[in-house]
Amino acid sequence: MNYLSTFAISASGMTVEKARLDVTAMNLANVHSTRTADGNAFVPMQVISGAKQGASFASYLSAAGVQSAGAKVFEVRARNGAPRMVYEPGHPDADGKGFVAYPGVDPVGEMVNLISAMRAYEANVAALNAAKTMALKALELGGSA
Amino acid sequence: MNIQSVDFLPLNAQIAETSKPAAGAAADFAHWMEQEFAQVNDKLIQADDQVRKLAVGEVDNVHQVMIALDQAKISFQLLTQVRNKLLEGYQDILRMSV
Amino acid sequence: MLAISEGDRVTSALVSVALDAATLRHQAIANNLANIHSENYRPQRVNFEEQLSALRHAVATQSPIAPAALAQAQPFIETDAARRTGDLAGRMDMEMVKLSQNAVHYQTLLKALDRWGGILTLAVNEGRK
Repeated sequence: MNYLSTFAISASGMTVEKARLDVTAMNLANVHSTRTADGNAFVPMQVISGAKQGASFASYLSAAGVQSAGAKVFEVRARNGAPRMVYEPGHPDADGKGFVAYPGVDPVGEMVNLISAMRAYEANVAALNAAKTMALKALELGGSA
Repeated sequence: MNIQSVDFLPLNAQIAETSKPAAGAAADFAHWMEQEFAQVNDKLIQADDQVRKLAVGEVDNVHQVMIALDQAKISFQLLTQVRNKLLEGYQDILRMSV
Repeated sequence: MLAISEGDRVTSALVSVALDAATLRHQAIANNLANIHSENYRPQRVNFEEQLSALRHAVATQSPIAPAALAQAQPFIETDAARRTGDLAGRMDMEMVKLSQNAVHYQTLLKALDRWGGILTLAVNEGRK
């Protein structure tokens, strides 16, 4: 289904943005998490995504190229950020000096990620709708007879 | 990417060729008609092939199927009209009382 | 007109089978969407690719297709072995994409068949409206 592979490209974009949204939501939910279920500190994550095919643009124009175009999530990696140390001597997870290590989640940065993921998702949906409209318009070639 | 312009309908070529038989002999005319039939047949086969490719999912664009179908239809219509006019003329001649 | 007499039966049968597959596909997608929030649901899918690949080869090489081969290439619905648990509404957008894709393909097939039939009608009534 070569002309239908345009839909697959937009679908892959939507999958990537949804993954980004999920990871951002997880980071935001864990702003005040001092530990995970297995006792370790919570580390904020980030999504590393990229193009499915790393070849030149010319290869996208060949039949095989279009089949593997689009984006995909390569990995979900931990962010390098220092934890936020807050002085709370009474906290059960406080270290020897009375500091609690909260995950270094930047709420403003995560909100920006959230909004950009949402906009990118909407853009992919718009691309898909445009592809559908174009295909349906092409059916009108040759008049209504 | 080779982007072709839209005005590649066969009408122009075929209208230019219909003015030839007036000057030619019967053999030329029959030869020309054969060529026209072959061309229209080719177009029909091509359109048929495109529709089959669409059904099995081998087609790159929707518009290439539609354009092939449209071209086949127009050239077939032209051929039919030429054939009708010829028959009409022939019947006119038959009707003439000697 | 060689193409019209022999090949047409095969062409319309081929398009007809593709339309059957699209209808079945819609059923599977609609079922998946209706069960978006159902726990332990097994997603449905249409099995047509294998049957298609044999036909695809014949169409690409423009070799004749036997009606028996066509009659055997029937699509059918199959259920995934794995049950869906956890993030249940997560795959709704993918089902919507499949829905759009299927709808476009169905309309394209229908329109192409309609136009092809129109050319044959011209042959039948000799160009008279």
